[in-house]
Amino acid sequence: MQSKLIRSIVYWVILSPLVVVILFPFGVMFVTAVRPRDELFVFPPTWWFSEFRWGNFAEMWVKTSFGQALLNSVYVSVMSTLLALALSIPAAYALSRYRFPGKGAYRTFLLMTQMMSPIVLVLGLFRLMVALGMVNNLNSLVLTYAAFNMAFTIWMLQSYFNTIPRDLEEAAWIDGATHFSSLIRIFLPLAVPAMAVTGIFSFINAWNEFVLALTMIRSSDDFTLPVQIYSQVAGRYQVEWHHVMAGTVLATVPVAIVFSWLQKYLIRGMALGAVK
Amino acid sequence: MPALPAPNVHDGSEMTSFSGLKPLAMILPGLFLAMFIIGYPVADLAYTSLQEVSRFGKLQGFAGFANFAEVFSDPLFWSSLYRTAIWTVCVVAGTLLLSLPIAIMLNEDFYGRGLARVIIMLPWAISLTMTAVVWRWTLNGRSGLLNATLMDVGIIAEPIEWLAEAQLAFTVEILVGILVSIPFTTTIFLGGLSSMPQESYEASMVDGATRWDQFIHITLPLMKPFINIAIVLNVIYVFNSLPIIWVMTEGGPANGTDILVTYLYKLAFRFGQLGKAAAISLIMFGVLLAFTILYVMLVSRGDRQPEEVEEG
Amino acid sequence: MASVTIRNVEKVFGSIKVIHGVDIEVAEHEFVVLVGPSGCGKSTLLRMIAGLETISSGDIMIGERVVNKVPARDRDIAMVFQNYALYPHMNIFDNMGFSLKLRKRPKSEIDRKVMEAAETLNLRPYLQRSPAQLSGGQRQRVAMGRALVRDAQVFLFDEPLSNLDAKLRVTMRTEIKALHQRLKTTSVYVTHDQIEAMTMADRIVVMRDGRVEQVGAPLELYDRPGNLFVADFLGSPSMNFIEGNARRSDGAALLETANGSQIPLPENAPVVDGQPVVLGLRPEHLSLTDPEEGFAATVKVVEPTGANVEVFFDFAGQEVCAVFNERYPLVAGQKMAISWLPDKVHLFDGVSGQRLESE
Ligand SMILES: Nc1ncnc2c1ncn2[C@@H]1O[C@H](COP(=O)(O)OP(=O)(O)OP(=O)(O)O)[C@@H](O)[C@H]1O
Ligand SMILES: [Mg+2]
Repeated sequence: MQSKLIRSIVYWVILSPLVVVILFPFGVMFVTAVRPRDELFVFPPTWWFSEFRWGNFAEMWVKTSFGQALLNSVYVSVMSTLLALALSIPAAYALSRYRFPGKGAYRTFLLMTQMMSPIVLVLGLFRLMVALGMVNNLNSLVLTYAAFNMAFTIWMLQSYFNTIPRDLEEAAWIDGATHFSSLIRIFLPLAVPAMAVTGIFSFINAWNEFVLALTMIRSSDDFTLPVQIYSQVAGRYQVEWHHVMAGTVLATVPVAIVFSWLQKYLIRGMALGAVK
Repeated sequence: MPALPAPNVHDGSEMTSFSGLKPLAMILPGLFLAMFIIGYPVADLAYTSLQEVSRFGKLQGFAGFANFAEVFSDPLFWSSLYRTAIWTVCVVAGTLLLSLPIAIMLNEDFYGRGLARVIIMLPWAISLTMTAVVWRWTLNGRSGLLNATLMDVGIIAEPIEWLAEAQLAFTVEILVGILVSIPFTTTIFLGGLSSMPQESYEASMVDGATRWDQFIHITLPLMKPFINIAIVLNVIYVFNSLPIIWVMTEGGPANGTDILVTYLYKLAFRFGQLGKAAAISLIMFGVLLAFTILYVMLVSRGDRQPEEVEEG
Repeated sequence: MASVTIRNVEKVFGSIKVIHGVDIEVAEHEFVVLVGPSGCGKSTLLRMIAGLETISSGDIMIGERVVNKVPARDRDIAMVFQNYALYPHMNIFDNMGFSLKLRKRPKSEIDRKVMEAAETLNLRPYLQRSPAQLSGGQRQRVAMGRALVRDAQVFLFDEPLSNLDAKLRVTMRTEIKALHQRLKTTSVYVTHDQIEAMTMADRIVVMRDGRVEQVGAPLELYDRPGNLFVADFLGSPSMNFIEGNARRSDGAALLETANGSQIPLPENAPVVDGQPVVLGLRPEHLSLTDPEEGFAATVKVVEPTGANVEVFFDFAGQEVCAVFNERYPLVAGQKMAISWLPDKVHLFDGVSGQRLESE
């Protein structure tokens, strides 16, 4: 007990600089978001401010059309996640359950696309969307996010599916179930948690994506949140930092909470097979 | 004996367990989308890079390797390449050096470990764009709260213009890069540590090993595959990371913080030099491919899949 | 109920053949146990009967019907898996009733059958629990129950007791046997535990490397093992083997071991002079005797098990194990004499390992 206490103190002391550096921008974010506008650019700079202006949030929401960007982000993240899941679940099931020719090559393909980053292909992707007439169309993001996320979702789902014993489905067949009904009545109910967790990670990836959204979306009505917030900072002479920070708070805090809550599943998924 | 039902007629496709052609049908739709969304751009880039391209994206005929020649004679390409190397090496090295001890600590039992885990993973949950936006404000040369804090503590007397000068800005960006890479890397290491055999530690303790001995002789060798994978993955991610530099300085001032991705993005979407941008994309794609193959090799070597035999 | 016929069945995984032409007949109502060392293909064979693996060549018939191409769900068999394979998201009642539900039986019938099975297996108090809330032994019972409600033609068991502790295994063994005696459902039971095989089987099939070594009633196999492998596999402690060459002079036969010891063989032993031979003696057939009547043997190790004593002797230059019910006061190094009844001798050809049968 004693040694655990000492260890706890030592570890927290060692970790404290990092903890401070991580939490520092959050402090900045909150403190700026609730400041009165005329206390933004004071000199010398100070943490102190005169009152909490919760009205900043409402003002920002209206002035920056935050609601529209939020809707766009939700649409893109939800649709791309659904598409990725719809394509990944059968693929992951096949990988986890079947022997088939070309399985090794397929695994390799997945690993390679998992590493493929959109930025390297961004010009080609843009020209593809031009060719498809999908520039300035949120569905261009739905397609690309789903495609780039799929390797991750398949990989993650597969490693979870592997933990569901195939005995269960075999037992169902012997009990008289068709492949289809064993899938629906035995496998899927057990796989729901894995699909939910994977879906949420895919959602967060889409939610946070920047480069493709910046490239494909040109009109501010269709901006997703990262681009909307970036657009308030980039190339402006006067940046309304209290609005920007209020926007980042709203855009990041809910996601950060969900992520923190699910983080252990990610570690488990990695231990199960994403890395090993 | 009761009468038996007449033999059912089956084509055998649903016969066994888990074999046959059905799995191909299951992977195909996803495969098709990935091939299309990833394959088309690669092909298009390869084609475009060999063409003369107008400012407006019109291909104006075969140009051989002219675009590549132009890239290689461009001093900004070389300085971006050089900075990409510095950026990648510094961020990856810094991340690894910090993440391993952090993971080891987080893998042990101490009061508040759950909280520490959540805090250290936090940067991962937030998009790089948002992080960079917040840091850009935090580092504001006049009214940024980093200056406020440092002045309050008495470390500096005058505010510092963190992002106005290339050298300093680049250093700060590297530090932010390290900060946001720690969670992912720590996660890999935690995965590795959790699969570490406890008996080896207990056995070595019986043999009289100190904690340092344990680290050198047990932890490090057993963690080696995870360290390798963390290196390769981080190299790939960091090499490709645009948002931090783009949001904080847009590669400026005066191209002084440009790395390849930011330079590429400017060429393509600011300066309209599509041929050149395609050429750089292709070069980067090649580098990425090399690292990816390295990664695939590392993963499949560590991959202890149950033996699978294809059924004919 | 139905018989099961396995006719010249082979199984190939990729390019590896794991079952090499197996023929087994399981009669109606019979309880047949497949035994053999790990990896010999027992599970594979069972899964082929169940319809969980394709049959590479040969035929499997359930009753009169060739089932090679019939999917598992239409074979009318029930199976108990090694890890029970209980559906974790259903309670015990639903686990047991699932097959009837799939067959769209009326609710009253499902209730009645599940209750009946639960009664038989003492599972009544647990019907509303989920599998995770049961002990290993109870889960095993549920797995049995799932098979029971089916009235299936054939029961298949794949090492159903291997996850239980030693004591529970003995109890469940008895229960399964009692159940079979009541229901008389044709059963194929896979195990690598020879005691399970001996105690439960009407007939045992001993397998090795994808081949059947011998088929027969338990005591038949025990008393007249067809070859060295079967002799060695059945019985614990296992049979002693003394290697040597047969010598024949004036009608008398004897075995000469490497260190020159000579052991008389029965006069009618089917051996010729110079033939390499293995003499097999079960430990419980050895007894201590007067020095002038027996063979000299030196005590090496004495291991009391409580019920009896296992003694390891140095005999004819080889190690020999004997089991005595008497607690003789033996100590290591002691010189004793052992003997056996001539009709308890097993003889095997030293080259082929096949049993040498006296005419
Ligand atoms: N799906 C498969 N692919 C390739 N080989 C397999 C497969 N399933 C089983 N085998 C091989 O077939 C052989 C027989 O396996 P099987 O599971 O039938 O053994 P077993 O007698 O049940 O052993 P145990 O007592 O350990 O359960 C083994 O060598 C095994 O490696
Ligand atoms: Mg088996």
